[in-house]
Amino acid sequence: MLSTRRNTAIFFRILFIIGFTYFFWLMLKITLEYIPLDPNVSFLMIKQTEVVQRPEYLIFFYAHVYTSIFVLLSGFLSIIRKNFGLRNFHRNMGKVYIFLILITAAPSGIYMGLFANGGLFSKVSFVILGFLWWFSTYKAYQLARQKKFKEHKQWMWRSFALTLSAITLRMWKVIIVYLFHPNPMDVYQVIAWLGWVPNILLIEYLITKKQI
Amino acid sequence: MKILNYTLTALLAVSLISCKKDGKTSESGKDSLTAKKDSVVIPEIYKEYYGVYTGEFAGMEKMIDESDGSEYEGGSYKRISLKINRITKDSVYGQSIVSGNQRPFRGVFNETSKSFVLDEPGNDKTDGRFEVKLNGDSLTGKWNAFNKTAVKAPVKTLKLTKKEFVYNPNFMLDKDSNLVDWSNPKEFVEKYTDEETGKTESYKTSKNRVASEAIFKLNASKQKLTEKDLKNLRKLDLEIIKNSVFARHGYSFKKETYRNFFEQTDWYIPVSNNVDNELSPLEKENVALLNRFTKYAEDKYDSFGR
Repeated sequence: MLSTRRNTAIFFRILFIIGFTYFFWLMLKITLEYIPLDPNVSFLMIKQTEVVQRPEYLIFFYAHVYTSIFVLLSGFLSIIRKNFGLRNFHRNMGKVYIFLILITAAPSGIYMGLFANGGLFSKVSFVILGFLWWFSTYKAYQLARQKKFKEHKQWMWRSFALTLSAITLRMWKVIIVYLFHPNPMDVYQVIAWLGWVPNILLIEYLITKKQI
Repeated sequence: MKILNYTLTALLAVSLISCKKDGKTSESGKDSLTAKKDSVVIPEIYKEYYGVYTGEFAGMEKMIDESDGSEYEGGSYKRISLKINRITKDSVYGQSIVSGNQRPFRGVFNETSKSFVLDEPGNDKTDGRFEVKLNGDSLTGKWNAFNKTAVKAPVKTLKLTKKEFVYNPNFMLDKDSNLVDWSNPKEFVEKYTDEETGKTESYKTSKNRVASEAIFKLNASKQKLTEKDLKNLRKLDLEIIKNSVFARHGYSFKKETYRNFFEQTDWYIPVSNNVDNELSPLEKENVALLNRFTKYAEDKYDSFGR
């Protein structure tokens, strides 16, 4: 009984690693679309109103895009809680993750959320997501410093669940477009919420029921 | 070194002189050409018949039934324009334009029967001869392909009326237009479960794109379009809003989709296969914006990304 349980745990762990690697690769390709610097490619093609009217928009945008890929990577490397033979690897990766989110990724995300596609409905979602992301990461940081590692772990799961919304949001988009072919901004309003709400619900469920 | 310098200067001088020579000869050639034109003035007659005649260009062509693959004869209807530019005693000059194919023609006008026999050059496989009769404002008759085997419909009939082509930014698609793009069906497999037997079968079916009401509201010839206006539109809408600009300028579309949309209106008169220079600055800006959004829709609509 115990060994089957351990086997399923290993199975999910491997699935998580393979799945993450695949989607991280897709995210990396999206990030590389913005290199070299071109203010009129990809997502920015439909954001020229903001690009032209708000000189700071591009700064926040690039800050978000370029750091978020490292947030994903460092978050993933810390959450598997292995040092890979390197001293303080988990701790250092965690520091990178925390500081990138607190200083750059989350604040720039909140700023961009204010000008999100899809109107007020999606703006509200992205701004809430940004604040929750910042807060959960900050909380996890504080708890680690207080050496309350069980709670630190729980808050980190929350934070990383929100980080993964970058991937789940885009997954939902593919699924919804495939099934229903809605207009682009109608999809956007849905995925704005679907990207992170189920993630955080799943984590809360795991924390309360499975005591992770 | 010195010798090299001398040779170089010499060469330079020679080339300069030869340049000058070339320039002169071409200039004089030009002169003689214009002079020739001036000296022989061919009197033009029947100027009142000059203009654009637009209407139906219909023929029967072999079509393949999609359900069982059998061949059948089906009617094909396109909008054609004949432009009569010049009528002299022994010649008629003009152009035909249909589905983006603009061809010059030359022929004769029979004064007593008021009929034209007009030949396209013959160096394109779709060239042929028009035999049309003038009756008031209407021009009717037939067209025969020179190479009967090279085209789908070698014999076609024409029913045209004389129309004044005028650009008008207010022209819009009629509100009761058919919104379905019949010419680009997308095939996909659908599953079906028989309730009695419980067996699941899959079958092929096709879906057609449908435009939205936005194509009746957004006029890219009159209003400055914003990103906000376009963000929630699908590719077909963007393409139609953009091509409405070109239709107003009389562009003859190669793509069947656009022909089917604009031929539903009575204002659409295809007169040219290139109207790029006719576009107003506002239209150019809007077309650039629409192109950007079309590209975004193509690249991003159904892919992993935003």
